[in-house]
This record gives sequence, structure tokens and C-alpha cells, in this order.
Amino acid sequence: MVIQFFTYILQGTSVTLAVTLVALPLGLILGLAFALLYNYGGLWVSRLAAVYSLAMRGVPPVALLFVLYFLLSGRLVNLSPFWAGSISLGIISSAYQMEILRGALQAVGESQMIAARAIGMSRFQAIRYIILPQAIRLAIPPWSNEASIVLKDSSLVYALGVPEILRRAQQLSATTQQPFLAFGAAALIYFILVFLANRGLDLLAEKTKLPNAAA
Amino acid sequence: MKTIIRFLAFLVLISLPLSGCREAPQSRLERIKQAGVIKVGTSADYPPFEYVDESGNKVGFDIELMEEIGKRLGVKVEWVDMPFDSLIAGVQEGKIDCSISAFNYTEERDKVVDFSDPYYTAEDAFLVAETFTGTITQPEDVAQYKVGVQSGTTQDDWLTNVLKMPEQNLFRYDRADQAALDLKSGRIEVMMADAIPAKALAQKIGGLKIVYTGVLSSGPMNIVLPEGDTELAAAINDILKQLKQEGFIDQLAQKYLTE
Repeated sequence: MVIQFFTYILQGTSVTLAVTLVALPLGLILGLAFALLYNYGGLWVSRLAAVYSLAMRGVPPVALLFVLYFLLSGRLVNLSPFWAGSISLGIISSAYQMEILRGALQAVGESQMIAARAIGMSRFQAIRYIILPQAIRLAIPPWSNEASIVLKDSSLVYALGVPEILRRAQQLSATTQQPFLAFGAAALIYFILVFLANRGLDLLAEKTKLPNAAA
Repeated sequence: MKTIIRFLAFLVLISLPLSGCREAPQSRLERIKQAGVIKVGTSADYPPFEYVDESGNKVGFDIELMEEIGKRLGVKVEWVDMPFDSLIAGVQEGKIDCSISAFNYTEERDKVVDFSDPYYTAEDAFLVAETFTGTITQPEDVAQYKVGVQSGTTQDDWLTNVLKMPEQNLFRYDRADQAALDLKSGRIEVMMADAIPAKALAQKIGGLKIVYTGVLSSGPMNIVLPEGDTELAAAINDILKQLKQEGFIDQLAQKYLTE
């Protein structure tokens, strides 16, 4: 029975991974854009970015999921539960990733911008070739945190009827009254996924480390 | 900024006629028949009405009933498994065509969705641990105990609005099985649920017994249908009537709802 349990729940892994692989990159792109706007966009744009971050970190993911799927989808755009769920999680995650990247951009330091400008680079060139390459490297360790959070938050898409790991565990728990076995199997799968993701990102951080980087 | 506002206004304007003409020409029933698929929502964690067996297939009284209805409509049933709380919203917003999930009629629900004719009449039950020493001779007696219930159910509604349970004594759970486990471990003293799932839980978990059954909150079970869609309702009600006359529903009840 244990093996049957495990294989049934394991079938949800592809859904969990798919949701994560949509939400995380979407969050990264939006987050990076907002982080750049916050740091270099001037007073008003940077305030707008700050409001976005506050709002999206304040909204419970499930609430955004419901708004996007039950209220907006079908009226303005037609989104399947999978896409509505993944996009909502991506938007929420973008606010957290924005904060991670914003911190990393600031950590590189204003003096490098001044130096780059002094040798004749435009602001865009300075960001693109001097600041961003360093900031991204600095952002990898905190970003691996966000990656594991999004992976586990992906279970929220079940609220729209997308059967991922956790929902399958719930179904088995309700049918067999073996909650420890069912949720234990789910926990093991999540652990393996998060472990692999974090080890991978650690390696990436190690590989891309700058030779003279401090600490 | 002005250009952005104009662009947004433009988007809204072009999308209005689009969303209008998409729904107009076909009725829902025609669309279902044309596609050959009816999307039915359920919360597959409520044995014996709807659950998954150990190889992951959806089974149960409601499931088999709906499969038969689908067959007689000449379409395939596409199951959409959602949390119980999401099902009404799903029907309301047209994400699913209907929902069968041991639903009982309530006025609140009737404001936003429609109900089919009843297909089964359910009773409520109070479930306690075998070691329970209190007395429950009439339903109102449960107010003095810690009571657990699945949130969003008619039992939840009855405890909250009819009995007016003190909030600190009322414990709402996502799923019925969670409440039953807490009952066994002593975190709550009484659990209220539909009688048949309650019996199934008592048997499966052990150490639990039923102290009261009767129609308090539940009564007839109905399929939840989109508000105002009389055509789909008529089609499904016709089939339900046939199934009752043929004894199909009694057979299902025999199979799933008795021990």
C-alpha cells in the first residue's frame, strides 16, 4: 500500500513542477523590472514600485488566485485554472523577488555607478555591464529561499481544481484515514524537490562567484 | 501616463463586445452536447459520496450517479476536483457546468446558483468518541461542548446561524476527516456531519460512535446548477426522474450508503 500511495502522490509532481517553472521565472522577470524601476526610476516611479511591492506582499495568494480565475478570467482573458494559478503565484512572488534584487542592487553600491559614468558609460550601460552582473550573483543565495517557497506555495493552485502533490495526499488521507502516511509521502517528495533545487543553486552560486568577492 | 490610461480604456472597450458575443448564440446544454463533455465539479474527499480509491479513480455515490446522468445526456463527464468551498464559485462563474458534492439546498446558496430536484435525502449526525461522558438527548445540547464541523457545509450553517454556537466552541475544518481525527484525539468533543459519511468515518477510524441522527440542516441532496439555466436543469431533472423510477438510485444507495 505504501508504494501505491507514493506513486499516486508522485503523479502530482509534474503539476507542482510545472506551476513552479511558470511562477518562478515570471516572478523573476517582473521582480527584476520593478527592482530596476525602484532603484533607478526616479522619485515617482520608484514610489509606484514600492506600492506594488507592498500591495502584492500584503495580498494573500489565494485571494489573488480567486480574483484572477473566478472574476477576471472569462471576461477579459480566458485562462485555464493552471495558468490563472501559476500567473497569480508569479505575481505574488515577483514582489518578494523584487525585494531580493533591490537589496542586491543596492549592495553593489552607488560608487560603482559613479565610476562607470565617469569613464563615459551611459546609465543603461552601467546597469547592464557593471551593476547587474554583480547584483545577480549576490541575489542567488536569498533567491534560493524564494525558489523553495514558490515550490511549496504551488499547492495553492488546488483551490482552482489543479491536482498537485498536496491535493492528492489529501484525497488519500480522506479515503484511507492514514494521514501520516499520505502527508508523509507528500513531505518526502517536497523535501527531495527543495533539496535538489537548493543544492543546484548553491552550485551555481559557487560556480559564478567572483574571484575577489568579499566574504 | 495619459497614453497608458487611453490604452487601458481601449482594451476595456474592445473586450466588451468580445465577451458579449462569445456567450450569446449557444445555450449551455447545446455547447455541452456539441463538445461531448460536461464539466462537473466535486470535492473528492467525502466518502462514501465522492472520494478516490487506492488506485486514484474517483468513486462514490455521487460520482456513479453523475456518470450515469452523463451517459444519458450522451456526453462524457470531465471531473474537476476542487475544495468544497470553491465549488459554488466555480458554478457561479461558469468554470464548471454543474457540481455534485453532497450539496443540500440552502437559501444562501440559492441566491447565486440553482438546484436540481433532490436525488437523495440525508440526515445529520452527531459523532462523539466512545469515551464521551456527556449527554446529548436533543440537538441543542451540543452547544455546551466543543463542536467540530467541515467549513461551508449546511451543518456549519446550522451550528452558526440556527443554534448560534458560541464561536470559541465551534471548530471549522477544511475536510471532514480532519475533524474526525481531532474528535478521536480529544481536541473536540462532538462532530456534526451528514449521517452517512459520519458512519463511514466512525467505522474507518474506530473509537467513535454516533449519538444522534435526524434531519437538522441537511435534508434533500441536489445537484448545483448555474443560476437561471432552466434548460440544463430540465434535462438533468428528467434523467433524475427516470433514474428514480428505474430504481437506479436505490441500487446506488444500497451499494454505497449501507454497511
